Amino acid sequence: MKLDLPSSTGPLLRVEGQIDGKAILLKFSGEADVEAKPEIDNVVRKIHEEALKLEAERVEVDLRQLEFMNSSCFKVFVSWLGSVQDLDASKQYRIHLLSNPNLHWQRRSLAALSCFAVDLVTITT
Amino acid sequence: MDPRPYFHLSFRPNIKLVSTVRRFTDEFYRRVLAEQEISARLALATHEMLENAVAYATDGETAIRIELHEEKLVVKTWNRTTPDRLAAVREMIDEINRTADADEYYQTQLVKTARRTDGSGLGLARIRAEALMTLGYEIDKDQLCILATTPINVQVGAS
Repeated sequence: MKLDLPSSTGPLLRVEGQIDGKAILLKFSGEADVEAKPEIDNVVRKIHEEALKLEAERVEVDLRQLEFMNSSCFKVFVSWLGSVQDLDASKQYRIHLLSNPNLHWQRRSLAALSCFAVDLVTITT
Repeated sequence: MDPRPYFHLSFRPNIKLVSTVRRFTDEFYRRVLAEQEISARLALATHEMLENAVAYATDGETAIRIELHEEKLVVKTWNRTTPDRLAAVREMIDEINRTADADEYYQTQLVKTARRTDGSGLGLARIRAEALMTLGYEIDKDQLCILATTPINVQVGAS
């Protein structure tokens, strides 16, 4: 089922969401720069709320076509992981990142995210 | 005349232009350095430096200069800024340079930023840990110059 997401704030970013049983699928493409920050904030907040409402087991985030992410957008992901870490263990859901090994920023940034929340995050290339 | 390639651009602070300049400089890196990995690292650093320069500029122009030396590449950005920002940058870069392990510093910053409500505080740490560049600064009154340097051991693809 398609998930309605907050409207776009930047010209370079596209986000699509879908609910599949107890999983939420999120697909980013384009570039996440300063103009996209409000949209990423809103999308991540919405996804977190949906995950709690659904009692989701996992959120899959497809970043394979996201060519760039600046540090303020990256911070949104860090804060999101922090919010999930703050939940009771019974309410925590796992976040699975699909990455593109050809994009340098993903290799370094996603590895850092994984170290930050090693119990919550898995990465597939 | 010095034959080494360089790139220098000044522009009025406009945050929306940062991505445009990043793509432009990315092309420059790809043209002069025959190595995709280093171009990607430099593009990331350039974007973070420019966003900081534009976001904290008090007035006037923001400038970026990319200098290709024999064994290193230096990215410099300039902007005029507030005394508070000058002090914050000096403190952050000094702390980064005192820390032997860039990844460990980055992880510490990630923990801090998860609870921050203002800014990310990650840009400089990211330049050090992800773009693998060393950082420095020069301050002249209210003018701030940030320098990021990386050794290069690659063939120059254009001259």
